[in-house]
Amino acid sequence: MHDDIIAAIATGYVESAIAVIRVSGYGCYDILKKIFSRKKINFEDKRIYYGHILDENGSIVDEVLVSIFRSPHSYTGEDSFEISCHGGLMVSNAVLQIVLNNGARMARPGEFTKRAFLNGKMDLSQAEAVAKVISAKSSRALHIAQLQLKGNFSNEIGEIRKDILLLLAENEVNIDYVDEELSDFSKEKRLSMVNNIYERLSSILRASQSGKSLFDGMKISIVGKPNVGKSSLLNKIIGIDRSIVTDIPGTTRDVVSEQITIKGIPFTLLDTAGIRKSSDDVIENLGIERTVDAIKKSDIILALFDLSSQLNEEDYDIINRLQKNSNRVIAILNKYDKKSGLFNKGIIPFKRQIQISCKTGYGLEELANELEEIAIGNIADSDIVSMNASQITILKQGMKLCKDLLNDIKGDIDPALISVEITGLIDILDEIIGKITTEDMLDVMFRNFCVGK
Amino acid sequence: MFYPKRYDVVVIGGGHAGCEASLIAARMGMKTLLITINLDSIGAMSCNPAIGGLAKGHLVKEVDMLGGEMARNIDETGLQFKILNKSKGPAVWSSRAQADMPAYRLRMKHIMEHQDNLDMKQATVDEILEENGKVVGVKTNIGNEYLCSAVVVTTGTFMKGKVFIGLNEYSAGRAWEPPSIKLSDSLRSLGLRIGRLKTGTTPRLDARTINFNALEPQFGDENPAPFSFKTENFNRPNIPCYLAYTNEKTHNIILSNLDQSPLYSGMVSSLGPRYCPSIEDKVVRFYDKPRHQIFLEPQDEGSTEIYADGLHTSLGYEVQLAFLRSIKGLEDVEIMRPGYAIDYDFVDPTQLKHSLETKKIHGLFLAGQINGTSGYEEAAAQGIIAGINAALYIQDRDPLILRRDEAYTGVLIDDLVTKGTKEPYRMFTSRAEYRLLLREDNTQLRLAKKAYDLSLIDKTDFERIEETEQKIEESVYKLKNTFVFPTAAFNQKLKELGTEIIKTKTDLAKLLRRVEIQYDTLKKLIPDLGELNSFIKQEVEIQIKYEGYFKLQYQQIEKFRKYESLIIPKNFDYNKVGGLSNEVRGKLMDIRPESIGQAMRMPGVTPAAVSLLLIYMKRDERKIKSSA
Ligand SMILES: Cc1cc2nc3c(=O)[nH]c(=O)nc-3n(C[C@H](O)[C@H](O)[C@H](O)COP(=O)(O)OP(=O)(O)OC[C@H]3O[C@@H](n4cnc5c(N)ncnc54)[C@H](O)[C@@H]3O)c2cc1C
Ligand SMILES: Nc1nc2c(ncn2[C@@H]2O[C@H](COP(=O)(O)OP(=O)(O)O)[C@@H](O)[C@H]2O)c(=O)[nH]1
Repeated sequence: MHDDIIAAIATGYVESAIAVIRVSGYGCYDILKKIFSRKKINFEDKRIYYGHILDENGSIVDEVLVSIFRSPHSYTGEDSFEISCHGGLMVSNAVLQIVLNNGARMARPGEFTKRAFLNGKMDLSQAEAVAKVISAKSSRALHIAQLQLKGNFSNEIGEIRKDILLLLAENEVNIDYVDEELSDFSKEKRLSMVNNIYERLSSILRASQSGKSLFDGMKISIVGKPNVGKSSLLNKIIGIDRSIVTDIPGTTRDVVSEQITIKGIPFTLLDTAGIRKSSDDVIENLGIERTVDAIKKSDIILALFDLSSQLNEEDYDIINRLQKNSNRVIAILNKYDKKSGLFNKGIIPFKRQIQISCKTGYGLEELANELEEIAIGNIADSDIVSMNASQITILKQGMKLCKDLLNDIKGDIDPALISVEITGLIDILDEIIGKITTEDMLDVMFRNFCVGK
Repeated sequence: MFYPKRYDVVVIGGGHAGCEASLIAARMGMKTLLITINLDSIGAMSCNPAIGGLAKGHLVKEVDMLGGEMARNIDETGLQFKILNKSKGPAVWSSRAQADMPAYRLRMKHIMEHQDNLDMKQATVDEILEENGKVVGVKTNIGNEYLCSAVVVTTGTFMKGKVFIGLNEYSAGRAWEPPSIKLSDSLRSLGLRIGRLKTGTTPRLDARTINFNALEPQFGDENPAPFSFKTENFNRPNIPCYLAYTNEKTHNIILSNLDQSPLYSGMVSSLGPRYCPSIEDKVVRFYDKPRHQIFLEPQDEGSTEIYADGLHTSLGYEVQLAFLRSIKGLEDVEIMRPGYAIDYDFVDPTQLKHSLETKKIHGLFLAGQINGTSGYEEAAAQGIIAGINAALYIQDRDPLILRRDEAYTGVLIDDLVTKGTKEPYRMFTSRAEYRLLLREDNTQLRLAKKAYDLSLIDKTDFERIEETEQKIEESVYKLKNTFVFPTAAFNQKLKELGTEIIKTKTDLAKLLRRVEIQYDTLKKLIPDLGELNSFIKQEVEIQIKYEGYFKLQYQQIEKFRKYESLIIPKNFDYNKVGGLSNEVRGKLMDIRPESIGQAMRMPGVTPAAVSLLLIYMKRDERKIKSSA
């Protein structure tokens, strides 16, 4: 039953030196033949091939290594291959996109593992675990994807959905009822509805491609006086996801930021160079300056304080500067392991406070949870668009179908065939606009058209 | 008393479902008894005097292919015949006929009376007799008990039926017939969930008081085709319907009398069909529509009683008369029978298997409006399936289950048992996802094999159909493999026929795909192409012109079948499946889908839930294997 081919970035949506794109399913080597520069290869089992991935125009997208795992020697037990490309989200996404364009579909959360299980690559005792992963991952992935889309484009998506439903209902009402003065939709009206859908899709696509990196998350700064534990925390945070990370050149001066993911959600850590330098550099007094900078640029400020000693003037200075932006601040009370009791945490005027120890790891999970919660809340109402490759593919396919639909409406094609195209459009956009069922369509039909002799 | 003769199948109710169910069971050699409240109303049409229509024509033809009577019956008693949607593609062409209602009913009764193995008795069934989860007989209102192995219940709108005309309300099965009061309690006590639905009908008018000169006649097709593949010497009249329109005055009368409507005054709260709203509903909801169409349809050949299609209403008698008389052509009209609404008990169809047998009681089958549908054709389609499966049940054979990719009947039943219904369910072509392939014209090709395997059609018929199919294939092959070349002479001919010239070697199929080219056009180009009869010609044209779309649907169907073939074990334990939400788990345990495919169609069942099912199914399988 698994003869569709699935693909995903196996290394996750983070910056990394090498990104691996895993593709699995019978027939997957046909895809590889189409996109790999070396055409005369037989792709033997357990071999690694060096070459280039080409786009539809034959231009080189990346220099890669392709590893072949033929059934049953692969992770999933099916024919599969992995493309190791040069990391960088843009590049790995571009490669994934090409794989998707050539007949694979985006894997659902946990799907490789599911296939592995169904194909007998895992033992029985793992079933439960696999099931857990799937239900947990999919609910959260869905949740996040929906929040992103709904938050940013609730209007657009609502309108697209409405237009498609109406278009379908109008088409269907004219098929399923005759002899009636039912619908006064002119051809122009139908064309303009399809055009509208097209425009909306392309505006989402534009927004998603404009400016920021697709996977920019909220920006986090870490501030605090020298020796409070900034660089320790930085290492810990990066360690949370074990996902470091190439440097992206910053926009100002020599500020450097890094991409990380926490619980699968992307974040950008600002001015990591500044933190790292501080431990052995003389420019310690940048503390205040960095704080001012952080207030300007970041969405979340992690303000560190040292539980093992009393707050000093430097701490109060930082607190004062942050107070106006307290909703963005998480006070991190570090060195919990060395807590001396001198420091009363009530003194700190921030609502969000988390006690941690970079040494023992205490409280780091709580911090991760807090960041996740803020991010999900933020995703729902920010205007940063973050879409994954499959969503972009969907948008593009949807736009192409709109074009076909326009032509066919213009050409007065049989409504039963038009309907195939509209439902095709719905199938494609399913993930973005939500499932549309026959019942939804009938609802709209009966609401909008006075049917029934 | 125990009636001494023992039956194989007892069918309760002589409506459209009951007629097909009892006829086919008898035709399959079962000793069959039909019990109905009134033998004179066998095959009666409760509502409009018509058979077929959009998506319904498909059902009629499927019933015909499965050995049913509806198509034959309308072919003998129709007053006009028409193909609807002729301006659209062949997938949605649908046959419809006006029926001579009394003639339809009488012929049906006659056929039943002459059917071997079929007895008919007039009585009301009050109780289903059951032992150990199996049906064993039925008991009538005068205490007769008939023993049997299978029961098909097809009681239509009769269970606890209540009729509303204005603010008057009385118990009835339909306007002028007694209801069936006790049967639904018996079903409930067998553990079935019962709900309530509502429907309505229009006033019947006296033809002598209508000014037909003021109205526009509408005839059927000139040379119509019959419904049944068995009908020969088809020769029926072409009696017109008439088109009339409501106007603002009509609407005002209705709006100012809404307090007279049981629907608007709150007397009736059950849900009626949205696809067939009352005139009150139309006027209220589409208040900016200046007029609504009405079709005045003859109820019989003499045309005294006229059915006013489009005017379902339950307003009071006086209001009905007043708004009718505001319509041009009806200024002096007399009502013969008023319109009314009826609400009635139905059985939630998700309690049925695809065979239409109840999951709870073995040998108990339900068909027709009792399952929440509406319409004669929907009833007949279920009736024939239930009748066939009752016979197969007794013979201990696998049930006949038509899939969604095989027949509208399959779509209808799968929708009912998988999703249930909140309003009377009517067939629409848009419910059939493989609509392009489920056409009226290819009904024979779709179903002949299945029908023949169950001996529902004759050998000669089957062989003839097979031969036709082969001929179509050959012709398509030939067109794809006959080439023409861009010679000056050939291109000249193309120009004369008003179509583009060709620039390269081209096969005839490619030419046939052009909108302006038909098979006959090709014959003009290539005289020795071969003569085809009109049916084969049409099939060849459809297959070639729509090939691309058909391919797409075949791909979808392949996927669909794969999921259908993943059977969920009957005793699968959903409680074990970790990660399912309680809601989804509850639904799955209630419906107990037969396959993964069916589970995927259930509202609310997500892809993740389906993955979980698959994993646990696999786990069980392996456990069994490793312990064996
Ligand atoms: C008022 C009204 C309006 C309708 N409007 C429409 C419409 O607009 N469009 C449409 O498509 N369809 C409409 N219909 C529906 C259509 O008439 C039915 O769907 C169709 O006739 C159902 O067929 P059936 O065989 O299920 O039941 P029916 O044709 O109702 O037949 C039921 C039979 O069962 C018998 N019976 C019932 N209870 C018992 C018992 N306990 N013992 C013995 N016999 C019993 C009855 O006497 C009757 O003969 C309407 C029906 C009514 C009554
Ligand atoms: N005991 C203890 N020591 C810590 C903790 N976090 C940091 N330190 C120590 O504090 C010192 C300063 O830490 P560093 O991260 O360099 O601080 P920065 O100057 O703010 O970047 C180092 O010696 C760390 O080992 C903690 O949670 N507990």
